[in-house]
Amino acid sequence: MTYSLNFALLLLAAASVAGFFGALLGVGGGIFIVPAMVLLFHLPMKIAVAASIVSVIATSNAGGSSYVDQRITNLRLAMFLELFTTTGALVGAILAIYLHDWVISFIFAVMLGYMAYASFSTRNLDDERIAKGLFAKARPDKISRYLALQGSYHDLAADKEVDYVVCGAKAGMSVASLAGLASGLLGVGGGVLKVSGMNKYMNVPMKVAVGTSKLMIGVTAAVSSILFFIAGLIHFMVVAPVAVGTTIGASIGTLVMNRLHSTVLKWIFSALMAYLAYEMLAQALAKGFGIHLPSAA
Amino acid sequence: MSEEQNVYAGVYRMLVAGMIVSNILFGIGLILALRRPQYFPLSARWVRAQYHPSIVWHGLLHGEPNSFFLIGTLLLILTPIARVIVSIYAFWVDRDHKYVVVTGAVFIVIVVTIILGLLGIR
Repeated sequence: MTYSLNFALLLLAAASVAGFFGALLGVGGGIFIVPAMVLLFHLPMKIAVAASIVSVIATSNAGGSSYVDQRITNLRLAMFLELFTTTGALVGAILAIYLHDWVISFIFAVMLGYMAYASFSTRNLDDERIAKGLFAKARPDKISRYLALQGSYHDLAADKEVDYVVCGAKAGMSVASLAGLASGLLGVGGGVLKVSGMNKYMNVPMKVAVGTSKLMIGVTAAVSSILFFIAGLIHFMVVAPVAVGTTIGASIGTLVMNRLHSTVLKWIFSALMAYLAYEMLAQALAKGFGIHLPSAA
Repeated sequence: MSEEQNVYAGVYRMLVAGMIVSNILFGIGLILALRRPQYFPLSARWVRAQYHPSIVWHGLLHGEPNSFFLIGTLLLILTPIARVIVSIYAFWVDRDHKYVVVTGAVFIVIVVTIILGLLGIR
């Protein structure tokens, strides 16, 4: 492949758009940039996954630090769950190195399909829970109590200090391991899994879950990056435009708006993810079994 | 500064510094690469051939984009790891021994990853 001005600038532009969309949706850029690299630039799946995971570290650093700075991140919770996300990432990255490209594409397609469904089916009930003070009322389990995982943060929207008790540590451990596995195998941050897991099972307010997840993503992605680096899968020519592009895109996206509110936009993103899921599936079937679905890519 | 703030401040500084420096290195590399478009193979073997310290050093001195990309990538990977190490130290200073153990365990996972990578992956 020739490293032309076109290739680098187009990749940078695609990564910027992916990072921007990711930030708007609150999912990070990986979910869009991997399909873009594979479908538009025809890069091998493994090289796309490895480049994406390095750019995921960059966006995690950027997003993670601002939440830490605002004292929203629960550092103890992050350190505890990281133990499981990093272990999951180690296993995921080993799988990514040894599995066939089409198998990874297939799993990626399944994940995209799930995300397309989940992005509009999940509802944020936090405002109600904060108003009723429900976050302070849960009963902590043994592990959460022993590790003093509870915390508090200042909620700007509700304009008050929100105290929360953490419970369901075991469920959190399972979700974190799964998110780590997905991250290492597919080159994504896995934030959506962790955020909804912490919010649903561990009684962690949404904003805290987002900040805590962002911080964990960095070290989780670093673990799989180490293996990809040693294996020679992190192709420098690809990584640089992707990392710079996603960082720029994600920064602008975060500036524009912190969370997506418009239902119309949510539907558009869902449709886009469903489309990408279909194209990735078509590619996996073509490469794995020689079955050709009608496809634009 | 309170105990908790001690950890927060250290973590925050690490993340921002790592991100800025690696992005600058990527930026320099990109500008260098675009001045002289060149052919490159998409193979792991070609990537691994760049890992020799003397090649990287020579590349940095002679404006080879690969060397800048390599250092930028390494820095990016090391930032969150450095953050873990800073946290272990901060928890130690704050006498929060449970968390020295928890964070230490995360560090052990990282070390195991490096060892597995060096031993097993070709």
